[in-house]
Amino acid sequence: MLIPHPLLGLRDAQEFSYLGDASLLLRPDGMAENAAETFFPYVYLRENPAGLHRELWFHEQGDRSWLVVTRNTVTHEILGAELAGDVVARNRASRDGGDLA
Amino acid sequence: MRYSAFRVLQEALRGHKGWRPLWRDPEPQAAYDTVIVGGGGHGLATAYYLANTFKQSRIAVLEKGWLGSGNIGRNTTIIRSNYLLPGNEPFYEFSMKLWENLEQEFNFNAMVSQRGVVNLFHTDGQRDAYRRRGNAAILAGADAELLERDALRAMIPFLNFDNARFPVKGGLLQRRGGTARHDGVAWGYARGADRAGVDLIQNCEVTGFRIENGTVKGVETSRGFIGAKKVGVAVAGSTSRVMAQAGMGQLPIESHVLQAFVSEGLKPTIPGVITFGAGHFYISQSDKGGLVFGGDIDGYNSYAQRGNLPTVEDVAEGGMAVMPMIGRARLLRMWGGIMDMSMDGSPIIDRTPIDGLYLNSGWCYGGFKATPASGYAFAHLLATDRPHETAGAYRLDRFQRGTVIDEKGAGAQPNLH
Amino acid sequence: MPDLEPITALGSNAPRSLSSGSLTLEENAALALASVSLRRNAPKPSPFGLDLPGPGGWTGSQGVSAFWTGPGQWMIEGHHRADSDFAVEVATSCPGCSVTEQTDGFAAFEIRSSMGEKPILRLMEKLVNIDASRLSAGSATRTGLEHMSVFVIRRAPDRVAVLGMRSAAGSIWHALEVAILRLNAAAA
Ligand SMILES: Cc1cc2nc3c(=O)[nH]c(=O)nc-3n(C[C@H](O)[C@H](O)[C@H](O)COP(=O)(O)OP(=O)(O)OC[C@H]3O[C@@H](n4cnc5c(N)ncnc54)[C@H](O)[C@@H]3O)c2cc1C
Repeated sequence: MLIPHPLLGLRDAQEFSYLGDASLLLRPDGMAENAAETFFPYVYLRENPAGLHRELWFHEQGDRSWLVVTRNTVTHEILGAELAGDVVARNRASRDGGDLA
Repeated sequence: MRYSAFRVLQEALRGHKGWRPLWRDPEPQAAYDTVIVGGGGHGLATAYYLANTFKQSRIAVLEKGWLGSGNIGRNTTIIRSNYLLPGNEPFYEFSMKLWENLEQEFNFNAMVSQRGVVNLFHTDGQRDAYRRRGNAAILAGADAELLERDALRAMIPFLNFDNARFPVKGGLLQRRGGTARHDGVAWGYARGADRAGVDLIQNCEVTGFRIENGTVKGVETSRGFIGAKKVGVAVAGSTSRVMAQAGMGQLPIESHVLQAFVSEGLKPTIPGVITFGAGHFYISQSDKGGLVFGGDIDGYNSYAQRGNLPTVEDVAEGGMAVMPMIGRARLLRMWGGIMDMSMDGSPIIDRTPIDGLYLNSGWCYGGFKATPASGYAFAHLLATDRPHETAGAYRLDRFQRGTVIDEKGAGAQPNLH
Repeated sequence: MPDLEPITALGSNAPRSLSSGSLTLEENAALALASVSLRRNAPKPSPFGLDLPGPGGWTGSQGVSAFWTGPGQWMIEGHHRADSDFAVEVATSCPGCSVTEQTDGFAAFEIRSSMGEKPILRLMEKLVNIDASRLSAGSATRTGLEHMSVFVIRRAPDRVAVLGMRSAAGSIWHALEVAILRLNAAAA
């Protein structure tokens, strides 16, 4: 698989290490009253879709950026990648909207 | 039809005209007491023990493809019971005991071969960890021996003992471990279940669940609605897809692809099962002579039953590091299967919040060895509504309760288990 | 105090070198390194007057050069300055940035071709999974080489440098040496 790195172009997936579902970017507030309830699904539950999946890849043997890659888990086709930092910034901007749009 | 030497002789004289298909091909009935979803090893073993041991009746196994088309027919067939943690070890030892009597039990040649499993260690720290695991196994009634270098060399002289990076310092040996014929296991359980009256329904994909007031009433399938009092789901890599149809789309499971490889047939050379401890590589030799080997999962979520080349390279490198002599063997076949990787690397055999719906999943890439015990424990749960004594830790809510069973201590990251 | 003798990353008194066919491989023991990273919202500095390059870039002038290592991060190279306190010099020319001494963390190997870029391209194809033809002069990237993480710098059409972990210097040398010898054996 080749990952289209937003800064460096197509890169071999071997240079990356994989973390999992990009919902991991939406870390709940650990200080909140209900932290135990919100952290359980955050840490342990996954949608695990057959089809499009937004997921975190770390460019370990590269520029050490975290990317959010959109990939089809049935065909392994990669549809796009963005810097996770950009996704987080966008989420922050539309915090009320909430999800990983 | 029971198999025996006499029967084989008789058929030989009659031109083998008396053999019959191993199981019927029944039409689905309108309703059953128990429906098992998934005709892999675990589903078939569950049906077998439900009917034969727990004396239940009106049972069906629904399989979307053909029996054994999933991971049961794709694995590298290693069986062993040398786990570390108390939640796991008694269960796997129970499974080993069932393996030891399996062929007599279901009158089918599953080629269970206790040729020994050696886990190599390469550092002093790893030796300590293996010693501890061996001791844990012994405490649970399993067997384990720690072999130092010389004893190991006498047994397996061809290992690359003096590899500069990964010198072989010894191994943890379980003599009762080994291999079994994966297809034979599926066929033996299928035939035994069929003979006990279980309907094995192939080409029947479950597409939905009928749930009323929090209680399961049956399943929608590609062959129509089938009513059921209890539904047990054992669909391995398809767990999330199937459970999402019951509204349980969020589970502590990720699906990942694992590849396996077989070489051309060679003269007998690998005595048992050997696993490399400094990378991830395991190998045995089939009775036909092919080297059967594999390594890590590819490492990313996947429902494609095929993997990618970097993992092939990694597996080949692991093999070359530990036994360079296999470098000239030609690869004959390779394939992939979809693993139900759980968040702690251990399985789930439990009820669900939906009455009458039961889940068997999270086998990662070690579920073949568990097939007999998994079937037995799942049947026990379905029949009695209580977990089997060796499977009590395999609860679905353990992640919420903080009682995970993490053999590797890798944390909630399935691709590291 | 006993007399201490400096040794190179490969463990000898003098840098190792190898010549085979049109290719020369040399351990570069004299390369000083310091990394620079920007603090949040800080302006981009220009150490030694260098215009720090964008993603994938390398630029050099007058004995110092720099390559991009990540968003807001660069490695500055001081040629023939390994025995000086290079990081301090870099820090003075990058006010407000985080500067870290890296000389002793890395080992550097310079590969030169006497027959233009072709042998360099062919060697890179054997060594790393990056498109050699797109890594033109003035490019640098980090990638994997036999499971080790390395920076590959195309200093000129006929020159490429490989920088990797100093503790893996022997393995990197071995990988480069084997690839060069095989390439020439195949060509012969
Ligand atoms: C390459 C590889 C190597 C392995 N090596 C080993 C090993 O050496 N040792 C070991 O212990 N384990 C090993 N495993 C793991 C082991 O094979 C699995 O954990 C185990 O087989 C899973 O249980 P199963 O047999 O029930 O799964 P499967 O055989 O996959 O059964 C699940 C069945 O469910 C069916 N299904 C899915 N969705 C539906 C639906 N909607 N409706 C109806 N049916 C459905 C599928 O078609 C499939 O037949 C390996 C696995 C692989 C892929």
